[in-house]
Amino acid sequence: MKQKKSKFKRMNAIKGWTLVTPYIIHQAIFFGYALGWLGYLMFVKWNYLTPPKWVGFDNFIRVLTDEIFWLVLLNTANFMLYFIPISLLAAILLGMAFNKLKYVKTFVVLSFLVANISSGVGYSIVFQKLLSESGPINRFLFDHFDFTIPWFSRPQLALLAIALMVSWKFIGYYGLIFLAGLNAIPKSLYEAAKLDGATQWKQFTKITLPLLNPSLVMVLVLQITLSFGIFTEPYLITGGGPMKRTYMFMMYIYDNAFRKFTSTGPGFASVISILAAAISFSCIFLVRKSIEKEVNLV
Amino acid sequence: MSKAKKRVTTIIFELIMLILAIFWLYPYFWLVFSSLKPQREIYTQFWPSAFTMENYRFIFSTAEKMNRDFIRSLMNSIFISVTVTASVVFTSALVGYGIAKFKFLGGTILKNFTIFQMLFPGFMFTIPTFVVVKALGLLNSLGGLIIPALFSAWGVFMFTQSYRNIPNDFIEAARMEGASETRIVLSIMIPLARSTASIVGLFTFIGIWDNFLTPLILISDYDKMPLSVLLASFNHEYGSQIGAVLSGAVIQTMPMVLLFLIFRKYFLEGIAVSFK
Repeated sequence: MKQKKSKFKRMNAIKGWTLVTPYIIHQAIFFGYALGWLGYLMFVKWNYLTPPKWVGFDNFIRVLTDEIFWLVLLNTANFMLYFIPISLLAAILLGMAFNKLKYVKTFVVLSFLVANISSGVGYSIVFQKLLSESGPINRFLFDHFDFTIPWFSRPQLALLAIALMVSWKFIGYYGLIFLAGLNAIPKSLYEAAKLDGATQWKQFTKITLPLLNPSLVMVLVLQITLSFGIFTEPYLITGGGPMKRTYMFMMYIYDNAFRKFTSTGPGFASVISILAAAISFSCIFLVRKSIEKEVNLV
Repeated sequence: MSKAKKRVTTIIFELIMLILAIFWLYPYFWLVFSSLKPQREIYTQFWPSAFTMENYRFIFSTAEKMNRDFIRSLMNSIFISVTVTASVVFTSALVGYGIAKFKFLGGTILKNFTIFQMLFPGFMFTIPTFVVVKALGLLNSLGGLIIPALFSAWGVFMFTQSYRNIPNDFIEAARMEGASETRIVLSIMIPLARSTASIVGLFTFIGIWDNFLTPLILISDYDKMPLSVLLASFNHEYGSQIGAVLSGAVIQTMPMVLLFLIFRKYFLEGIAVSFK
């Protein structure tokens, strides 16, 4: 009997391994082996053709002394300064609005989500034309208010424009995260607060906001990750300009690793990607450390 | 507040949100109308004086003479997205089954490993993926876009989670009748986890269809490019053909929107699940 059981156990394990082995092989190549390459590339100089040359920490020194690296970091921070507050505030309000809606809820939620699943290339082209010098938005402003906004020719305006269009795309999604958070708050808390005579504002600051903490942290993490990985929008619309002020990490990596004439080789670019990942993780860690709270509902 | 007053406030609020939602769709309306009107009216009037298919004719036939074969690239996009989506749903369902329903050491480790994998930001893999695809001799081929994407850690994770709620009795019964494990996955597990299957399928399709950076790096021939990259390159070189560019953007966007509207129920569930 015991023997039979252990035989069954072994059969079970063999079948299990058979099912997962293709996955392990695939990930060994495209995850493990790839990561190994990334680790190796950081320490070599290479042009993809001749054998790589070991240069030690040279790539790190070159990246850290490259002015562009610090400019890109500044640009990313500058972008986050627009994007995070705008989309965070809008998404919280939107989540609360979703929560309050009765009759048109489905339509409103779907409209905002359709924005979220718009194509990256498609919507970049659309906003490039919409906001262009002679585009419909500037034409409207000029006809009715006698001024135009040079969206993509001033650094701060260009960053703001990209932050606004990314917000257009994402606040529906973030709003839905807040809606899920709001739904998890027990109604009885508000009733108790009302009995105690708490004002609407007080209810918001003392109940809603603290209990939305998990959703808040999640949205912030998504926003930070997005800011460090943004590529399609600046690449297609501004090409990094004006004055390189919309030049972001992913473009910096792309130009250095792959673009003819600007390429300094994959070694240099690998170091950028590792540093960008490290900085983005640090931001996430800081956010979690400073605002994340244990929330116990029920 | 009196009841009547409260009612009025509610109605005004719902109206405002309705208007805001329609306003939010403005870029879509503008895009679709622009693609259907004569080029000179795109920047000057919202409602076309006459609807025309001229822009679509341009992108599908004239552009071909400019070395940009959009029908071909549409086919490339469809082929890549359908292949990868079918593969990811199938492989994730199989691997997730292995992890969730068989007790062995590898399963437990692998489950934690999929979570670990999801922590890595995508941009870290841009360079090494290029190097690996190049080493495999797949550069500048559709295979280079498809093969690295055949499995998905996120897909495996999603299926593993959803299988936990499926009782083992079903599986035992099928085994009694001599069904193979692949058969069990295909005819019992996937149908029982169909909402997970739809979510994984939908998100994978949208992600691959709209991927821009990967094909930009891996593909250099126009006739092998998926729509996203070909459209971007067309916009870069012939940006003044606004009507044609925008009709290309419609073709790039619409499959995603349609799939979303068809599967919206699962999409909303998918978002809800990923919050837990």
